Amino acid sequence: MTTRTLFLRAALFVAVTLTLAPTAIGAEGPPGHTHAFAAVGEPAKPTVSTRSVQVTMVDMAFEPETVKVKAGEMVHFVITNKGELLHEFTLGTPAMHSEHQKEMATMMDHGMITATGVDQKMMHMDMGGMHMSHDDPNSALVPPGETRELTWKFSKDAEIEFACNIPGHYESGMVGKIERSR
Amino acid sequence: MSAKHIASAWVARLALATIVSAPTIAGAETYDLVLENKTVNITGKDRTATLINGQLPGPVLRFKEGENVTVHVTNRLKEETSIHWHGLLLPSEQDGVPGVSNGFRGILPGETYTYNFQIKQAGTYWYHSHSATQEQSGMYAPIIIEPKNREPFRYDRDYVVVLSDWTDENPDGIVRNLKLYPGYYNEHKRTLVNFFREAGEKGLGAALKDRKMWGDMRMDPTDIADVAGYTFLINGKSPADNFTALFKPGERVRLRFINSAAMSYFDVRIPSLKMTVVQADGNNVQPIPVDELRIAVAETYDVLVQPREDKAYSLLAESMDRTGFARGTLAPREGMVGEIPPHRPRPLLTMADMGMSFGPTGLDRGTPHPETDAPGHVAPMDMEGMDHGAPQASGATHTMPDGSTMAGMSHDAPASAGPTHTMPDGSTMTGMDHSAMGHGAMADPLANDTGAPPGAKVLSYRDLKALSSLYDAREPDRIIEVRLTGNMERFFWSMNGRMYNEAQPIVLRYGERVRFRFINETMMNHPMHLHGMWMLPRVGNGARDPIKHVVNIKPGSSLDVDIPADAEGNWAFHCHLLYHMEAGMMRKVTVVREAAAND
Repeated sequence: MTTRTLFLRAALFVAVTLTLAPTAIGAEGPPGHTHAFAAVGEPAKPTVSTRSVQVTMVDMAFEPETVKVKAGEMVHFVITNKGELLHEFTLGTPAMHSEHQKEMATMMDHGMITATGVDQKMMHMDMGGMHMSHDDPNSALVPPGETRELTWKFSKDAEIEFACNIPGHYESGMVGKIERSR
Repeated sequence: MSAKHIASAWVARLALATIVSAPTIAGAETYDLVLENKTVNITGKDRTATLINGQLPGPVLRFKEGENVTVHVTNRLKEETSIHWHGLLLPSEQDGVPGVSNGFRGILPGETYTYNFQIKQAGTYWYHSHSATQEQSGMYAPIIIEPKNREPFRYDRDYVVVLSDWTDENPDGIVRNLKLYPGYYNEHKRTLVNFFREAGEKGLGAALKDRKMWGDMRMDPTDIADVAGYTFLINGKSPADNFTALFKPGERVRLRFINSAAMSYFDVRIPSLKMTVVQADGNNVQPIPVDELRIAVAETYDVLVQPREDKAYSLLAESMDRTGFARGTLAPREGMVGEIPPHRPRPLLTMADMGMSFGPTGLDRGTPHPETDAPGHVAPMDMEGMDHGAPQASGATHTMPDGSTMAGMSHDAPASAGPTHTMPDGSTMTGMDHSAMGHGAMADPLANDTGAPPGAKVLSYRDLKALSSLYDAREPDRIIEVRLTGNMERFFWSMNGRMYNEAQPIVLRYGERVRFRFINETMMNHPMHLHGMWMLPRVGNGARDPIKHVVNIKPGSSLDVDIPADAEGNWAFHCHLLYHMEAGMMRKVTVVREAAAND
């Protein structure tokens, strides 16, 4: 790597980190910090009685497109990517997705994610103690051919979508609805 | 076989369940088209147009992938005509270019000609006359092909947006005027007054030098388009008529842009709305959100938009020469009119803008008429470092698993690609878009300078990545140099210095991969179109380089475009600017089997 490259990357990361710092993604806030994802429920640990829901990703769609949950229910999502591109499964309100899309565009621009995968080296590069990553509990990045799991407790009453916020994917219709009954 | 009624409706309301499309059995449908002269009134004056089924544009042909299509075309004009199915993969005999397509001599007055072919693809295409200047006077229409499998995106409404340029003049008169005085339509020609103003600003020496260079180029610096005086239309409607597409807030709307203009490029945007490009020239691409796109003549782009507010959105398509615009409206109700933003100044081409890039090895390239070389010839040139998509100057490259390079970083980056390019909003590096960076000598030859504000994303070919790779990224078997040449002061246009009627066909071997190395030595954009086979512009995305039927070659730039020669027969290859093709910027491409080539 040339000196110029290093400098460029350093500059990029400062910019990225500053951009991402105030957001939920990658922010390792102090104890008691309110995470944005808290608006749609809370992460949970699955037990034998936890309901499992299979979600398949294809290029720019989820199957199924609606998942019914009961208020307060804990659901274990098993998410498989059968497409050729990298996809994301994120639980959030439409406004949260809209914000997160900007972050994903930045990550894409800076090579932390590409159209087809995650660059772990770029993603976890440590710049002067500032660290960024895509590891919020309401979200999973799923490379092509792989499966990820995520357990969530739907303890909050909100308009919740599961969405892929990789640039252009939500816009193409890669979003589903959580139908929450009482 | 059943006669199918051709719907004239522009709007197809789709069920939300389009994502799971029912399997369709390929049918065999028959379509009837009648060509005749009709009186239209676009500008307030009655004029004679050449129409398909009495409509401007002609009727939308809705095909299904796999369908066997029969089209009866009846010629009620007083002259020979033809219909070419733009972008469709079909046998040469069905391609509809008189004197080029195998055995096709055009459709004579009074004759009914029957086309018959199978649909082998899906997406948005169009059809038009390939005879004389009939296309200019109204003979163009959309083709929509429904795919066999579900599409990789979802939408609630579907609109075709046909952009075109209408003139009240007789197109043959335009040809005469251009031949007599090529600057005839150039209302912005530099004058003596301009010259002295420039001399004041730049100093006399610089102004003189600039003038001399323009003179040497035999071009006029304001010749961004040859023909002005156009009225720009959306689906046949002038800006005053305001084509309106309805939506309910929150719905996803698919817009199928087709540039059916004879001579006009458009800069397309919907202020305050992102457009997500999902198809280019009928082929799916990885979705790319943009603020604006430039559509070259004869290209198509499909975009998705999601207007969320209960208000009217303007659909603007400014002509690249800024002599006017086409306008439509996306609205929740009929009769609403969107705001129109201020007029933007026209770009003035400069020598720096052109980059004076006459190809990788400068002006001395050895092969003056390489297209006539025998099959099998490989141009004696360095194969390395020729991929103009390769980021030779940029240190911050990043190779993706599929071998392509990161779009955001792969511009032939000027040394300035440093931290200074953090955009004013502090957010993204989309400011790497060189269109917003002014023009150094190393400006990205693919960036489109539309005058968009800093930070706005303008689509470039580099952003287009095929969703499915139809072809691998292998190196070509040989390189054929295609210099785009012309003499604007005498209005002739050519390739490698020869006009169509002076040139031999370009002979390709069936199955070979050929690279057309385009070198645009002129001051104009040329939308180069090859019939019957896909063109793969090498823009740095490896096997995901876009799959196109028209590739724009910017003024003074060069671009490598690979052609998998997978369709036998005779095919037209030309600049899709109608008057450039008419003036000679065209070739016949003949694809022959190996055995036949050795005869």
